[in-house]
Amino acid sequence: MAENDDELEELGISTSLTRRQLVRRGLGGFLIAYAGALPKVAAAGVPKYVHKHYKNTLKIIQWSHFVPAYDVWFDKTYTKNWGAKHDTDVQVDHIALAQLPARAQAEVAAQSGHDIFGHLSPQAGLEDQVINHKEIIQEVTRKVGKVSQVGFKSCYNPKTRKWHGFPENYVPDPIHFRKDLWNQVGIKPSTWDDVRRAAPKLKALGHPVGLGMSNELDSNMLLIALMQCYGAFIQNAQARPTINSKNTIEALKVMRDIYKRGMTNEVFAWTAASNNQGYLSGRLALAVNAISIIRSAEDANPALAKNTSVAPIPRGAVQRLGLEHVMGVYTIWKFSKQKALATRFIADLEIHYQGAFKNSKFYNFPAFRGAVHNYATQLAADPHKGKYKVLDLIARKYTANLGYPGFSNAAIDEIFNTWLVPQMFAQVAQGKMTPAEGAKAAENEFKPIFAKWRARGKI
Amino acid sequence: MWSTLRERGVSYLIVGPFAIVLAFPFYWMLVTAFKTNGDLYNLNNVPFTYHPSQAAVGEKLSFQHDHWLPFGFENATTSHISFIFSDTNYLRWVENTAVVGGLVVVITLLLAVPAGYSLARLSGRWGQSVGVGIFLTYLVPPTLLFLPLSRVISKLGLQDRLWSLVLVYPSFTIPFATWLLMGFFRTIPAELEDAALIDGCSRLKALARVILPISIPGILTVVIFSFSLSVNEFVYAITFISGTKQHTISAGVPTDLIRGDVYFWQSLMAATLIPSILLALLYNSFLNRFIAGFTGGAFR
Repeated sequence: MAENDDELEELGISTSLTRRQLVRRGLGGFLIAYAGALPKVAAAGVPKYVHKHYKNTLKIIQWSHFVPAYDVWFDKTYTKNWGAKHDTDVQVDHIALAQLPARAQAEVAAQSGHDIFGHLSPQAGLEDQVINHKEIIQEVTRKVGKVSQVGFKSCYNPKTRKWHGFPENYVPDPIHFRKDLWNQVGIKPSTWDDVRRAAPKLKALGHPVGLGMSNELDSNMLLIALMQCYGAFIQNAQARPTINSKNTIEALKVMRDIYKRGMTNEVFAWTAASNNQGYLSGRLALAVNAISIIRSAEDANPALAKNTSVAPIPRGAVQRLGLEHVMGVYTIWKFSKQKALATRFIADLEIHYQGAFKNSKFYNFPAFRGAVHNYATQLAADPHKGKYKVLDLIARKYTANLGYPGFSNAAIDEIFNTWLVPQMFAQVAQGKMTPAEGAKAAENEFKPIFAKWRARGKI
Repeated sequence: MWSTLRERGVSYLIVGPFAIVLAFPFYWMLVTAFKTNGDLYNLNNVPFTYHPSQAAVGEKLSFQHDHWLPFGFENATTSHISFIFSDTNYLRWVENTAVVGGLVVVITLLLAVPAGYSLARLSGRWGQSVGVGIFLTYLVPPTLLFLPLSRVISKLGLQDRLWSLVLVYPSFTIPFATWLLMGFFRTIPAELEDAALIDGCSRLKALARVILPISIPGILTVVIFSFSLSVNEFVYAITFISGTKQHTISAGVPTDLIRGDVYFWQSLMAATLIPSILLALLYNSFLNRFIAGFTGGAFR
């Protein structure tokens, strides 16, 4: 005998509305009501003639800025005003940071896409696909002064004498630390030795330090910066791999020690957002990251923001030297049909960088220092009690390019994008290799990469 | 009566834990969507209920005077949910997803039904092998194909158009649908068609008038499966379409709601929960036929 609605329905003898009938009818009604949109939407694509009174079209793609207001300013104010002056419809598309490389490769494969591509790291590997950006460099230099060393060494190839990208901005990479917790343990994170001493005490308090050793951007930047502080480098100024050195071994020992006594093994599985989230949840006592952490805390957790200090990277045995957290690099593809317009746009943006600097909440520092004036005054005027003044010092003195003391070349690009440095540190920290073995293994991986790009004439 | 109660009790004891485990992520998403930042990021708070916290910038505590609400809901906020409707093109993404999904389903059915039927009935012994071969193309991951397909899409002038997805998505829905329908058609007795053919029907008429009506479960399975695959696909959606108004949900949500290393968790949960509920309702409407479609295909 049928006992439930489904069986009654199948037998066709149900007299009342079953649950399933109700859901079906409701969904059906919703779909019918909505179907009016289908033909219109199916025919939609990029509206080709929205601004048909503009002569030109310029297409830009860049990341979704962590400050939503920056994208609103860029998309709806800056580009619209610039476009009106230059009879151009400027179309700006955004993409998540992690998808930028794949999107770039897709546009190269298709030989079609955006006129201006906004990367977040130097793209030496794409040198053959882009124009020589020398003209823009010269134009901006004439107007606001020379490009910074960071910008120069990130986007210029001395071998081919080509500017493979335009360095638009770079982002200083400070440490964020919990004043209250570090006061409790009676130490300040001024040197890596201080961090080493404090780490176990902080872990005992339930607030470990957060230094990633994972295949992600923050770990890459932090660990290369740590190496620099100990005088260890991936390459020398002549683009020869120098990873296997006693300085690298020392840096590996420091990190292994910090991990064993003061961190948890989650750091081997982190993503780019993990240190942000760990810090914002109140768990981590220290993180190395751009100011997205503290700016998020100001909105989400003001009490935490008040207890957070921002400082330069700790000093190592040799020096205090960090890296840019990310570097905004604009490239113009060779296949672009709007090279002149794209050149003009980038030059104008950099020459008048004040708006970008301010609307990014001081995240974007111009690669041409003269493009913004009165850094100290502006940073001090931030409502959060001058906390960001230190960013100017970090940007001027403690930020090097990826590949320092050499240039950011294609070999550095490949080593960076294949996470070889975090893997070296992770292997040593987990005890799978000794520091000496780790440095040697890394050298064995780096040498073929350098040889390959040397053979291709890029370094 | 006792034996019935015992049977039901045992059934619920077995099924209950699975249901709780499977439903739990959706409960988590629902709770998180209404949390304030202060509540969400406080590790001392129980994550399944709501706790008092200072409202962050842009958060409104609309229920703060309604202390009768359960689970501490007076400490919840709808600001993060309204954010996706007011500050993103979310509704447009839902529309785009529905359109792409609908068109892909139609194309899949138009091609997979005759293909599945031919392989089941007309291809002899080698039909099975060809069916498996077609299915194997489904296993080629989009991460291998998106670069060469970018070139194809560009040559066809379909970049930044929804038609690029409508063209490409059938490349993975049709193989699976063909294989599934092939198995399903095999379960239908050939005598039914033979009778129709003897009565003067053409092969096409026999397919349309005899086979298709009794194949509704299989066809519905293909519909739901193809639609789900289209909704979930990410690599092609992010590669072929860059304009935010042309995005589908799978591309638009991570682009606008994950900014650098900042995740807008509450909005993310809401943005993914809404279409999940709609899909769940769709599945539920045709659950019996869906099950019949899958299990029917198993006996081939």
